[in-house]
Amino acid sequence: MAFERVLTRNVGRAAARTVRGYRESGGYEALGRALKLDPGEIVEEVKRSGLRGRGGAGFPCGAKWGFVPRGTDRTKYIVCNADESEPGTFKDRLLMEHDPHQLIEGCVIAGRAVAANTTYIYIRGEYTHAARVLEEAIRDAYDQGVLGASVLGSGFRHDVYVHRGAGAYICGEETGMLESLEGKRGQPRVKPPFPAVVGAFGAPTVINNVETLCCVTHILQRGSEWFKSIGTDERNTGPKLYAISGHVERPGTYEYPIGVTFQELLDGCGGMYRGRALKAFIPGGASAPMLTAAESGIRMDFDNLAKAGSMLGSAAVIVMDETTCVVRAALRLARFFAHESCGQCTPCREGTNWMRLVLERIESGHGSEADLDLLARVVPNVGGISLCALGDAAQGPVKSLIEKFGDEIRDNLRNRRYPLPRVPFFDLGAVA
Amino acid sequence: MPIVTIDDRTLEVPTGTNLVEAASRVGVQIPHYCYHPRLSVVGQCRMCMVEIQGMPKLQAACSTQVVRDGMVVRTSSETAAEAQRAIMEFLLINHPLDCPICDQAGECGLQDYSFKHGQAFSRFRFEEKRTYPEKERIPLGPHVMLNMNRCIQCTRCIRFTHEVTKTGELSFFERGSHAEIGTFPDKPLDNPLSTCVVDICPVGALTSTRFRFAERVWYLDKKPSICTGCDAGCNITLEHRRGAIRRYKPRFNPEVNDYWMCDFGRATHERYQELPRLAVPRLRKDGEVVAVGWREALDALFHALRAKRADGATALLGSGFLSTEEAWLLRRLAGFVETPHFSIWTDSGPARAIPNPAGGIVGREAAPNRRGAELAGLVAEEGGLDAEALLLGDGASRCATLLVADSDFGKAAHDPKIVERLRAAHFLAVMGWADTPLARAADLVLPVATHAERDGTFVNVNGRLQRFERAFPPPSHVRPAIEVLADLLSRFDPKWASVSTAVVFDLLAEELPALAGLRWAEIPATGVPIVHASAGAAP
Repeated sequence: MAFERVLTRNVGRAAARTVRGYRESGGYEALGRALKLDPGEIVEEVKRSGLRGRGGAGFPCGAKWGFVPRGTDRTKYIVCNADESEPGTFKDRLLMEHDPHQLIEGCVIAGRAVAANTTYIYIRGEYTHAARVLEEAIRDAYDQGVLGASVLGSGFRHDVYVHRGAGAYICGEETGMLESLEGKRGQPRVKPPFPAVVGAFGAPTVINNVETLCCVTHILQRGSEWFKSIGTDERNTGPKLYAISGHVERPGTYEYPIGVTFQELLDGCGGMYRGRALKAFIPGGASAPMLTAAESGIRMDFDNLAKAGSMLGSAAVIVMDETTCVVRAALRLARFFAHESCGQCTPCREGTNWMRLVLERIESGHGSEADLDLLARVVPNVGGISLCALGDAAQGPVKSLIEKFGDEIRDNLRNRRYPLPRVPFFDLGAVA
Repeated sequence: MPIVTIDDRTLEVPTGTNLVEAASRVGVQIPHYCYHPRLSVVGQCRMCMVEIQGMPKLQAACSTQVVRDGMVVRTSSETAAEAQRAIMEFLLINHPLDCPICDQAGECGLQDYSFKHGQAFSRFRFEEKRTYPEKERIPLGPHVMLNMNRCIQCTRCIRFTHEVTKTGELSFFERGSHAEIGTFPDKPLDNPLSTCVVDICPVGALTSTRFRFAERVWYLDKKPSICTGCDAGCNITLEHRRGAIRRYKPRFNPEVNDYWMCDFGRATHERYQELPRLAVPRLRKDGEVVAVGWREALDALFHALRAKRADGATALLGSGFLSTEEAWLLRRLAGFVETPHFSIWTDSGPARAIPNPAGGIVGREAAPNRRGAELAGLVAEEGGLDAEALLLGDGASRCATLLVADSDFGKAAHDPKIVERLRAAHFLAVMGWADTPLARAADLVLPVATHAERDGTFVNVNGRLQRFERAFPPPSHVRPAIEVLADLLSRFDPKWASVSTAVVFDLLAEELPALAGLRWAEIPATGVPIVHASAGAAP
């Protein structure tokens, strides 16, 4: 489909990793524009664009900036959430490795908008290469006067630091991230107070995802009208990266206008692996409830997916074909959440592990229909009352497993078909 | 102040009051584990979920503050009750359910809330629960034992060591369903308040090495009392079974010890087991000390006190362990005998600090009531034989009769040299509960009640008058000191026959301006600040 790639325009262009190369494609023009604007106007511009957070929750970015107290001399922080650890998600990595300045520019614009002089990019510990690329880009930006005491000679000070995580999923939760950033055990804080009021080191803090900040750069470059012209409607605007994995021919990160249908996505990456039939797909990372083949015409945006009982999340699309044992797939995710639960709140600590145990029993062939009934009753208790969103995340896939595939699982249980045969994902013969 | 409605009861609370506290003011108990009024709010047990009108999801009551008018809260609506039931289920699926061998049973948060909010069966049908192998009995420090299998990860203990004692010995390790409480290598939980973590632990994970397996808690009888460890005057609950004290627990008093007390204070009752007890009055007859009846013993003391010998003085030595009322009667006795030789002795002890909202309280003496005794008039007079003259000088050798009120008044009562010095009195009489070297050297011994067996008042370091009550009666031939002193005084003036502590206090209050208007029956449970000349004005 005809669409100008914006966020990924510098992917594959190694020169863009330097300030000079980045400028060739119009880089840092947006920042120059932002520095001439009143901070309040930047916030208004972002509000008008309808940009919603790309990290998972889809919270309106401009509104988030608006919560930060204005007109005080208090220290404020921008924290960029680059702890991309949702299973299936790898879009931010691409942005950081190929176009680090796009992110740095977004960070400084955000800093200008809320009068913060410091950005911490909290990057997932495993992203060693991305961290290195960012560090080099930041050094170059300091040398070229983009960062430091006077950004582009404007007199506005902004510093950017890369902070590497140590491998905990929970540190991608914004308050868990702040705790980790402060050098404490990474576990979510009780909210309120929200980070916009009491965030990093007790100061008002804006926390934005990598892709969100990259979008900010383009909103300032091309204007909110342009941004709004892309997408489904005024609540779902802008370009969007989709990280596609699983049983497809060409998995990878793809840029589309937000609201592209799943079928278009699938066609864009070469269709189902070896032409097999689609069984289920997860539209937004491990915490998004699964959808079935019958729903493949769905528009992949915040509101349409929410209406279908799932969510856009981080837009990590995991595609499963007819050979997949959905119970095994859900178990894989349940194990992940049980492993990554921080352990402080009761429903998540106990519930994720309980779900794992029951799914293991079903998957291994030792389960009964009673287990499925139990799961249906226990799972809703895990989300909703947990301290942070991990509890809600953990129940997503299991809940949809019961809703969408309950009859199939019951049939398999009655006929004692578990464990289902494992079909190797890669056909080694085909590779050779 | 904003107005909030909780379960149809409307009240006004200061802005920022959390819902658990607000609800308790109208008698609604919102179940909670991790919340504690003196610790930071972490909202992680999720037991206190309540429904708030206008909010799509249930909210944790502990972390929800009342900041605006018109909040309508339902604590036991269907959805809130279901959430509470779900949390109880989650907490119990991996709990060992070993109540029959658990010290906490009977005062356990899991038991109580299971009964009220839980269900009677388990849906967790797995043979193996999550356990922490080898972590059933980990001594965290000298006073606290950890059984990780029973822990519900509420982290109250961790926050206590970080926020109250500021020693930070405890921390959270591992994560998810394997998250556990622990100490760092070579850094045991050893601070003066360490046993408080046992009190705040809502389950049987942390138990006191002192109290472990000592008694099932439902057999314990409880009385409000005051710790005798120092002059801080920590409010305690004295818990005993048929006269055997099993433990002291802190009793909430925000003006004194708040929710806490020190490990030293908790152990003070052990002295009643460590030292031999005086059981019957003893009198030296023809060089031989023999058991006698009370009448004979008191007559002997009366005659010794009344016989004003030309060759020696009559001296009375009290102690900081006397109740204010006992001290006052001792002072009356000095009046009847017309002696200027009366005083008290108190050992100075290590400073014992207890945090409270007013910035803390520090006890500096090894006895609870020097101030009360002084208030009652036991202040040495100029030129009199005072405690220093008796204990450190040769004052006793100039005494015809010396009465020491408390055989265990301090370290000196166990020091052979000082006992020798006091023994120089012609007639040495000793009152007390403990058979100390001093008691063994005496000519007359009067066995009186221990702290647990009497009632009275103490005045603490800040000049706060606090009442304690008799938890159980003394053994058959032992009498409370107040009764013994009254009996003795009645030999001088019959009006003193059979007066009780309450009567003595009321008389005392009539006499002393500092206690004006107070009556025994009306002393508040948390004490009352009084103005006391020698202790300075009450804060």
